[in-house]
Amino acid sequence: MSARGSVPKVEAADVTPRRRAGLSRDLIFTLIFAGLLLFAPTLLRALFGQASVSYLSLGIRAVALAVLALSWDLVARTGQLSLAHAAFYGAGAYTTAILLKNFDAPLWLGLPLGGIVAGVLALGLGAVTLRLYGIYFAIATLAFTEVVKAVVQELPTAIAGGTAGVNVAPLFRPTFVPGEMERWEIAFLRNQNYFYLYAGLLVVAILVSVLVQRSRLRSAFTAIRTNEFVASVMGVNPARNKLLGFVISSAIVGVLGALEAHRLGSVIPEGAFAVHTTVLALVTPIFGGLYTTIGPLLAAGFLSGIEETLKRSLAEGYLIVYGAVLVISILFMPRGLVGLFDRVTNRRRREGEERP
Amino acid sequence: MELSLIPQALVSGVLAAGLYALVAVGLALAIGVIGIVNFAHGEFFMVGAFLAYQLFVSFGFDPLLSILIVAPALFVIGALIYQSSIRFVLKAPELNQMLLTFGIGIILQNLALVIWGGDPRTISNVPYRSIGYELMGINIGVVPLGSFVISVLLVGGLYWMLARTRVGRAMRAVAQNRTGAGLVGLEVDRVYLVAFALSALLAGIGGVMIAVIQSPTPTVGFAFTLKAFAIVVLAGLGNIRGIVGAALVVAIAESLVATLVPDGDALRNAVFFAIIFIALVYRSRRTA
Repeated sequence: MSARGSVPKVEAADVTPRRRAGLSRDLIFTLIFAGLLLFAPTLLRALFGQASVSYLSLGIRAVALAVLALSWDLVARTGQLSLAHAAFYGAGAYTTAILLKNFDAPLWLGLPLGGIVAGVLALGLGAVTLRLYGIYFAIATLAFTEVVKAVVQELPTAIAGGTAGVNVAPLFRPTFVPGEMERWEIAFLRNQNYFYLYAGLLVVAILVSVLVQRSRLRSAFTAIRTNEFVASVMGVNPARNKLLGFVISSAIVGVLGALEAHRLGSVIPEGAFAVHTTVLALVTPIFGGLYTTIGPLLAAGFLSGIEETLKRSLAEGYLIVYGAVLVISILFMPRGLVGLFDRVTNRRRREGEERP
Repeated sequence: MELSLIPQALVSGVLAAGLYALVAVGLALAIGVIGIVNFAHGEFFMVGAFLAYQLFVSFGFDPLLSILIVAPALFVIGALIYQSSIRFVLKAPELNQMLLTFGIGIILQNLALVIWGGDPRTISNVPYRSIGYELMGINIGVVPLGSFVISVLLVGGLYWMLARTRVGRAMRAVAQNRTGAGLVGLEVDRVYLVAFALSALLAGIGGVMIAVIQSPTPTVGFAFTLKAFAIVVLAGLGNIRGIVGAALVVAIAESLVATLVPDGDALRNAVFFAIIFIALVYRSRRTA
């Protein structure tokens, strides 16, 4: 709701048959994309040989960024600004770390459990704060991250490792077979396995995003975003829908956090709960185009490439690019890359009409 | 639990409350007058701190003296940021406004990281840094006392300005009713510009003081954004008058937790969250 009482613009309701057609089209695209992800490691290896190891890790980071971005966008669709993605990422990472350190748990259990813990935390935070005015929610999520970090730091060192953190066992330990493979192929196999896991999570995130976009939830979310009061008059429960988006989004991020903990080999509070994560999670979809599925995907590929180049020259402060991208996007391209693309194709279409 | 430490904690809390009020009142001004929830507010504070540090290192400026340079500098920076970005999102959805200020905050913080690095910076060799008085077993440092006095003067000055001067009355008028204020001939955009620049100036002066009190890193701004939000939420968004009381509550609570809870230093931030949270729940009860 706008404080200055501007006239809310409500998007036209979807016509169901068109929505169905859109859904099957989106599912086909998702399937094709999943197939591409499946063949990517083999293709990279055939093309680049040993160098494919580092390309694969770049790919993993890009996929991770896309997961963050898609999940953040889910909350944004209900008109809420979540600044707590770092908290859920860290919660997932620490769930698997604490589990493996203190209990004789199977290696893989931390992944689903990380998602569940993050989801439950989101449920608790959201139940209290999502009923409130948007600004309060944003402020509360920002503070929430700091508190979860402080609590994890204050847990007994034997359980959570304090400020020094916890080492986390890797998920994959490919064995080296002398004579049959080269040294670098171990790193390749490890990266390949992680890549498939991350890609699997990304496909889940894409499916969630697409299903929300092509179901009645889209209308509910859009109505809440444009005018919460009108939405509730029309029979949409704002609190429940916002909570749904928030919990799903956070659970996905929790799984991602757990995965990253295994891949990076350790968790520390300053790293797992870094504001950095929240910044990445929100800048990427805004740059790509909010409330879309393709936008965050495009932006994740683009931004992870830029970040990689920049990290080579700047040790600290490379996040400045994300800040600049955020400000520029808000001021000049509020609909992101997708909006730019639309504008270009529309112009072409118009020109086409003029010249029969 | 050491009960004899309570008076000391209370005094430290009250002294800290001055600085907190100074920072929070600027944030409340931006929210109350312009309606912009400024997530970059703490970064103005940080910029003030590092400008003071740089003036000290490069030219040997005493921090007290550097206020005279930092304050106008921050006023200009605030005005520039308003003119180049904030003014374009005044009618945009709230989400966009918050994201814009968040982005400005990221830029400022990382710019400072690029320039000064992530290590804490200390203004050493200031003669009054280590002076302190003892009064009935309570230690009072000259620096916290001085920052308290300066803050009280500035916050008092702001209240006086809002109540008595033309600019202040214009700000209150715009805050109450933007359209109405425009109709009676106020240049609303100018008032916004001055309010935003003033809010940056107040934060910047606060930053100069933290540069002497602590050894800040570029992330100090983020911590103070949270503190300022806790105070502003407690006072009620946009309520400028309630800031002083809220700052006292927050600062004293923080000081008590840090003193009385073993290893309470890391839990300091939890205090702010608890306050924000309690204030939120209280407000939701009242409005529901």
